[in-house]
Amino acid sequence: MNTVTMPLRIRSLATSAARRLLPSEPLSHEAHRAIYGDLSYLDGRQIVVAAELSGLCGQGGAAFPAHRKMTAVREAARRSGRRAVVVANGSEGEPASAKDKALLWHAPHLVLDGMALAAAAVGADRAFLAVESGHGLGRYLTAMSRQRPAPAVPVTIIEVPQRFLSGQESALVSFLDGGPALPRYQARPVFERGVGGGPTLVQNVETLAHLALIARHGPGWYRSGAATSLFTVREADSAPTVVEAMPGTPLGVLTGAGAATGQALLVGGYHGTWLPLTATALEAASPATLGVPLGAGLLAVLPHDRCGLVETASVLRYLALESAGQCGPCLNGLPRMAAAFNELAHPTPRSDLRRLRDDLSRWAGLITGRGACRHPDGSARLARSALIAFAAEVDDHARGRCRAPGRPPMLPTGPASPAAPIEQGV
Amino acid sequence: MDSAVIWYAGQATGIVSLTLFSAVMVLGISVRRQVRIPGMPRLAAVALHRSISLLAVVFLAAHILTAVVDSYVNISPLAAVVPFTSAYDPLWVGLGAVALDLIVAVTVTSLLRARLGRRTWRAVHWLAYACWPVAVVHGVTMGSGTGHPMSGWPLWLTIGGIAAVLIALVPRVTTGRRALTPADVLAGVRR
Repeated sequence: MNTVTMPLRIRSLATSAARRLLPSEPLSHEAHRAIYGDLSYLDGRQIVVAAELSGLCGQGGAAFPAHRKMTAVREAARRSGRRAVVVANGSEGEPASAKDKALLWHAPHLVLDGMALAAAAVGADRAFLAVESGHGLGRYLTAMSRQRPAPAVPVTIIEVPQRFLSGQESALVSFLDGGPALPRYQARPVFERGVGGGPTLVQNVETLAHLALIARHGPGWYRSGAATSLFTVREADSAPTVVEAMPGTPLGVLTGAGAATGQALLVGGYHGTWLPLTATALEAASPATLGVPLGAGLLAVLPHDRCGLVETASVLRYLALESAGQCGPCLNGLPRMAAAFNELAHPTPRSDLRRLRDDLSRWAGLITGRGACRHPDGSARLARSALIAFAAEVDDHARGRCRAPGRPPMLPTGPASPAAPIEQGV
Repeated sequence: MDSAVIWYAGQATGIVSLTLFSAVMVLGISVRRQVRIPGMPRLAAVALHRSISLLAVVFLAAHILTAVVDSYVNISPLAAVVPFTSAYDPLWVGLGAVALDLIVAVTVTSLLRARLGRRTWRAVHWLAYACWPVAVVHGVTMGSGTGHPMSGWPLWLTIGGIAAVLIALVPRVTTGRRALTPADVLAGVRR
């Protein structure tokens, strides 16, 4: 079937094939049924209750409890008399992340099962599966969905543009309504007025795959902590590995051998947090105990021979350029922060270090919570955490020293707006 | 009541409120177009638009009160509100009544904006573009207070207001509005 290539390495630490999110080979519907078994019939209310008892939270970044979203959509549909819509969000947008693409590639039927359950839970009559364009996923998934018997709720597979903000829920709704894939001002939240004006449940594809497993193995199994989830693990320049593991798995096991030579860890994604990486942390800490949001599950190891400031400056520049430019704090704040960070990333003796640092902290505070979406908040979080995790590096740069002079950044900044190399001083 | 004081008060409040409304138009257009008035931050333009318009409404109320109270000419309270029913100069007084009604609509909807919703508010707010020219015509035709058209410095003041509003409008017609992109900002601030 394939002209499609998904050059993704996967590694699963799950114990049982029937409880695994990432089968080693992409599964046809028949193989899927053989391994996972058929879904037993559950009515909408039972599905919401199962989601609540399991404690399932969104895996797209915001970690919002799934059952509360479902209840909100269900209630809004009942009140307004409009039919609900389900949108499975597989457009991760973030260039460093790959877990949703890996999941869609390896376990499309688990996601489609989850969509059927979610549609039943909220009483939807339409469902959309939104995936990132440029990987051939649209065609692949359409072929996969044809292997299934006609579903109770028809599923439309849509490719959305490769942009950082495409996966934001109001951006998806806007795109599905024929508008640009950009976040929009929401007078009413999408769970009340979404696609075509109907109450809309937007749920990450991994969350839906979890729902499909919960329907089979029960909420107690999921709640017990035995359930796995997906992480995108990046080490240096190599291609990412999508790892399936329990959130309690030690960082060292999750990230593999290369992490021992790392100095810092980017947790969550480009809206995430830089943490210093130590040998003890690798052994003792797990994603669940890091104390920072896991976002969409990115774990990027920064090796010792790389500069965290150069990486952050490059990512901030990317985030600024990916801003929709619709809200003042984002339009004016992010480019200024990116420019100031670019100064920090430039190792040269300077006397205005204090001012640069103060400016960055002040701007980060000013833009947080003031956009129509969370883009400024996440970008500010990244900048702040970098100032803390690489504080010593900032001082070194101000004395004209850098641990990795002249090396280009390793974190990808996407095909949408390729990063210009950051000029390094002599 | 017949008093020179009231006559002068009626003239003065009319000229002041017309001038203030011209300023409100300029500020409103600049806010709408997202352009900056030289030397003024945008937030100040929004705040000034709001406060000057309320100030203008106060002067307008005084203008109407004096016009009704003044017995130099006979304008009934009804004629001040219902267009073209005045015994004296029904056409030009009537235009003043039209302007008043439109201003009341625009002001009341602005005060109730949170309850009305943005769409309704905006639809009514567009009436400002109809209201201001009507008020200008009313002012110019009756502005001398003696039955003759406006003349002298009040006329020049009004012409200045008209010119300011036209200048505020012109680039909008010719260039339209181009949104600033993050890349523009990044290019602008890179040192």
